[in-house]
Amino acid sequence: MKRLAVLSGIAFALTAAAPLPPYTPAYEPTGVDERGMWMQADEAERQMRDSPFVLRDPALNAYVRGILCRTVGQDRCQSTRLYIQRLPIFNATMYPNGMMTVWSGLLLRVRNEAELGAVLGHEFGHFEQRHTLEGFKRARGLGDLLTWTALLSPTLYSSMATSVIGGFYSFSRGQETEADLLGLAYLAQSPYPAASATPVWERLMAEADATAAGRKRKVKTHRYSAGFFASHPTELTRATYLRDAAAKANDPGDPAAAAYRAALAPFIADFLTDQIKLNDFGGTDYLLAQLAADGWTPDLLYARAELYRQRGNPRDLASAAQFYQQAIDGGFAGAEAQRGLGLSLLRSQQLEAGKAALRRYLDAKPGAPDAAMIGALVGQ
Amino acid sequence: MRGFFKSLVTVALLATALPTAAQEKTGNKPGFTLTPGTARIVLMRPSIRVGEQSTGGMFEPNADWTLQARDMLGRAIGSVQGQLGNSVVDLVEPVGADASALAEYQALFTTLADSVIVYQFFPGNRLPTKKRKGQFSWTLGPGVASLPGLKGADYALFVTTDDQFGSAGRKAVQLLAALGGVGITSGVHKGFAGLVDIKTGDLVWLNADLQMGGDVRTEEGAQKRVAQLFEGFPGRPVASAAGQ
Amino acid sequence: MIRMMGATVALLVAASPVQAGNSLIAPGAKILVAKSALAVTPASEWNKLGARPGRNSESWTLDGDGLNEITFYGGIPDGRTLFREVDKRNRPLPKVSGTMLITDIPALLESSYRIALNTPLMSIDSVEPARFAGAAGVRFTYSYTRPDSEVRRLGEARAAMIGGLLYMTTYEAPALYYFERDLTAFRQIADSAAL
Repeated sequence: MKRLAVLSGIAFALTAAAPLPPYTPAYEPTGVDERGMWMQADEAERQMRDSPFVLRDPALNAYVRGILCRTVGQDRCQSTRLYIQRLPIFNATMYPNGMMTVWSGLLLRVRNEAELGAVLGHEFGHFEQRHTLEGFKRARGLGDLLTWTALLSPTLYSSMATSVIGGFYSFSRGQETEADLLGLAYLAQSPYPAASATPVWERLMAEADATAAGRKRKVKTHRYSAGFFASHPTELTRATYLRDAAAKANDPGDPAAAAYRAALAPFIADFLTDQIKLNDFGGTDYLLAQLAADGWTPDLLYARAELYRQRGNPRDLASAAQFYQQAIDGGFAGAEAQRGLGLSLLRSQQLEAGKAALRRYLDAKPGAPDAAMIGALVGQ
Repeated sequence: MRGFFKSLVTVALLATALPTAAQEKTGNKPGFTLTPGTARIVLMRPSIRVGEQSTGGMFEPNADWTLQARDMLGRAIGSVQGQLGNSVVDLVEPVGADASALAEYQALFTTLADSVIVYQFFPGNRLPTKKRKGQFSWTLGPGVASLPGLKGADYALFVTTDDQFGSAGRKAVQLLAALGGVGITSGVHKGFAGLVDIKTGDLVWLNADLQMGGDVRTEEGAQKRVAQLFEGFPGRPVASAAGQ
Repeated sequence: MIRMMGATVALLVAASPVQAGNSLIAPGAKILVAKSALAVTPASEWNKLGARPGRNSESWTLDGDGLNEITFYGGIPDGRTLFREVDKRNRPLPKVSGTMLITDIPALLESSYRIALNTPLMSIDSVEPARFAGAAGVRFTYSYTRPDSEVRRLGEARAAMIGGLLYMTTYEAPALYYFERDLTAFRQIADSAAL
């Protein structure tokens, strides 16, 4: 089933560089199912407008929207409303009424405008193909079948459940592949290079492995067949067919890495803080190393120090102290590095050096919200 | 920190409430009455959702039904309140910071209503301090008076309905399951209506029912539903509407 | 899909409503909480919820845990989480460490809430030294919003590491009206804590 999907995907990819299908603006839903789903989406968007999870910084919103528009083209992008949500997970969603959400965990993980465009183009592909509706119809049909089977034959139920669900997901994987390749077609028409999608999925794979390793779970050697319940194609399959298709498109371009770094710079520290507090040592350490591909900046060193101090094994505390010191030596602006250094040293029983660092923190930031607490630790 | 687990308990109570789990439906603040012809009531944007429940139990939203229900319920509410001699006006929805403040109060009201249902209306789960005779002490706090759009009004009326009609397949499964002794419900018809005194923020009346009657897609059914939603409404009984 | 399966299973199982067994906490008497040696003496009455957040903890409320909730953690040992895991495989909670500094306690609560409630909108707003249950400890305030509700909640907590075990009590309620209303009652209970 999946092999079929991949094959059809490759067939699609051969035409990826061809002109995009004509786009119908101002689409209106038809039929009971579709109108019902739009209504739900409109209600969801009504709530989104007042949601405390939405990042409303105008410059950031304009910048991300600009990337979407440059990727899919002005005509298509006009039919979407884009909301950036503060959620530390790699994700973006597209609703049938044209609402798109972009999560902060995605912004943290792409390295340039072209990579972000590749992911947003994929989501837009679902919208253009009206996939939500198809998925909904399919899910309803399945639920019906399972209920009937459960009642009529309880023993058959368990085996039916797995085979029926498997069918659902390979169908859905087909949709994912379709959206991937439509996304690639957008990229090929955009100023960005078409080969931008592959590295995103490759890094996502490596991060998942690092997370598993950090949690002492078995690391799967990569995954030609998707897990039965994975609704997306395996990242390896995905990286492979996207790379092949991109090679055929032969579409160079500027991925705009420097512009991306500059636009995201004011937000990265906050996004990293959200990531560090997820208790995912392996995945976060991998992610930091990726962000530091061009060198460890003081901000990245500070983030890594916080991560190690949080896990808090004796060797972690030694590493954390070292990273804080490097961040400070590199010119880290905040007094928090002295705080982290001091606490790491205290926990490592280096009392005098630890207290000295905490005093430097208090001198630099006497009005800190935890000043009294830190003062008590140094005996002031 | 029970937030996460609590929501599971709430869902279990709401999702599987069978007729055996005797649920009380109405609460009144003791001593509260509403004199006909004196109150100005603002209707908050009702949360109305209507759809079909497929054989597998999945909710299928239906836009046409929902719009019909919004229209029918709105008119039925207006006419019932008209019979009480009280004026009901729709809240003019604010924008910007005011919209956020309103959203937070709407969310607090939902939390409050959930709490009344879970910790007062289900006797087996009732909080000991809420067990005393005739007691109904629940509030949003006096800050509600500062909400935009409520100036000069006496009461805020919150209405929520959620209807999922059983599809033909679902009903057949229900029959079959009944023969086999398995309890499967066909359709969901729940709703609550609550009246908040704007001066004090106190909940003076709440009616919540997890198994309501009345097909909200029709005018007659909407009137029946509203009559049920307003059962026990302080002031004059609204039996006249139920008979229509 | 998972939700759909869940609905099907729930319908087939048709679980009866949970009988939580809530009980009254009478004012003025000293009582042991959280299945531990931690004792408090409340000046006003509360309801103790039948369901516990974890093995060594218990919750009190006045109007339901969505509107006001005090939680007691009675000596969580090294290697244990603050409360029951939500999804141990994919979202494991951080664990208590016997060598934690008291400044690490607010960070542990923050991370646990972020993971269990799936929200980045959780922050520690102030931290200061305070005695708790007769030991040198910490008092801190926090605020959070769950993704499934717009209600912003405020919290205040006292905690201490005593003999390598974490003792803590927290109070949280919606920022609108509720938090302020019962804060004094909580502080009285926290002040009365003894081992």
